Amino acid sequence: MTGKDILKITLNLAVIYIAGGLIIALVHAATSPIRYHNKVVAEELALKSLVPDADKIEKLGDWKIHEKDAKYFVAKKGEATIGYIVQSYGKGYSSYINTLIAVDRDFRVKKVKILDQKETPGLGDEIEEDSFTDLLKGKDADHLKVLKTETTEYVQAITGATISSRAVTDDAVRNGVKFIKATITGGGAGHVGR
Amino acid sequence: MSDANQISYWELIKNGILKENTIFKLALSLCPAIAVTTSLKNGFFMGVAVVFVQVMVNLTVSAMRKFIHQRIRLPIFMLVISGWVTVVNLLMDAYVPDVYKEVGLYIQLIVAFASILARAEMFASKNRLTPSLFDGLGMGLGFLVALVFISIFRELFGKGTILGVSIIGAKPLLILVLPAGGFFAVGILMALFNWLYARYAAKPGAH
Repeated sequence: MTGKDILKITLNLAVIYIAGGLIIALVHAATSPIRYHNKVVAEELALKSLVPDADKIEKLGDWKIHEKDAKYFVAKKGEATIGYIVQSYGKGYSSYINTLIAVDRDFRVKKVKILDQKETPGLGDEIEEDSFTDLLKGKDADHLKVLKTETTEYVQAITGATISSRAVTDDAVRNGVKFIKATITGGGAGHVGR
Repeated sequence: MSDANQISYWELIKNGILKENTIFKLALSLCPAIAVTTSLKNGFFMGVAVVFVQVMVNLTVSAMRKFIHQRIRLPIFMLVISGWVTVVNLLMDAYVPDVYKEVGLYIQLIVAFASILARAEMFASKNRLTPSLFDGLGMGLGFLVALVFISIFRELFGKGTILGVSIIGAKPLLILVLPAGGFFAVGILMALFNWLYARYAAKPGAH
């Protein structure tokens, strides 16, 4: 290899790195507001869809479940508190299931939304569907329990996806509801969860 | 592949879709072909990302083919590929966030696609811009078409839906959306493709 080769190789690499870096920097700069916007808007929409009659949703604080950071919120209509929203995680079959739970002032579930999960496609991912999350509506912490038999008092498991059903109900939602109840009624103390 | 100037552009595209189809003929890049094809939407956008990367890589390599020193051409190709993959990664995160959430990991894996490096080395580094463009388009479209067929097959028979819309109203063959079923789906469609292609190629006047 001659000095000329070395010079050419250096030049090659320098040009590629600079040109590539410039292109990536440009695309990054152009898309980063959109990507940021997407995340913020997605979170706001998710919160809003949980308590549609609230006109203000304020963050109250953070808590931890399964070593993960989660948030909780209060939903207000005018000055009156109409409920709370708590984020929670459940340990599923193949992923941690990120959920948002809306509860009323008696800490009964109003609505559950699955934000993120990587359960088995076609089986476990049915936890995202309304047909399952509607089963949790109106239940308090004591009734958030998955049974494999037919039940309306408790929650009936999805066929072929007992672990995922349980992760949502017994783990994420029940712990979330217990936590928000303890925090609000107990004045902000305590961590529930395993 | 020595002299592309005698081959028409249409031939180059046809080559990528039929004769050298990345998945059905060369059996390359099967990992994403199985991982992302559980729904048509994911398969389609993955295919689009590959078309974009393949075309941009071919164009970049072809434009620089006289400038690149022979000794470091492969590292340079890898840099070019990873640069364009980063670009498509950022674009998809911004404009199709829901798809990106599911296939993002495999978008990043496009860096390691044998088919993309192979086209840069075997074709784009030896040919002018326009043939390289059509070669990239052909190879990319071949991948896209294969992914679309596989994901239609898996979504329709596995979940009974197309693009999330219920068609069958039941799940006839749930295994198809599971990883094991992915292998079955690719195998069945590969056999079908090759059977049809053999009949087509045997016809007088084809080629």
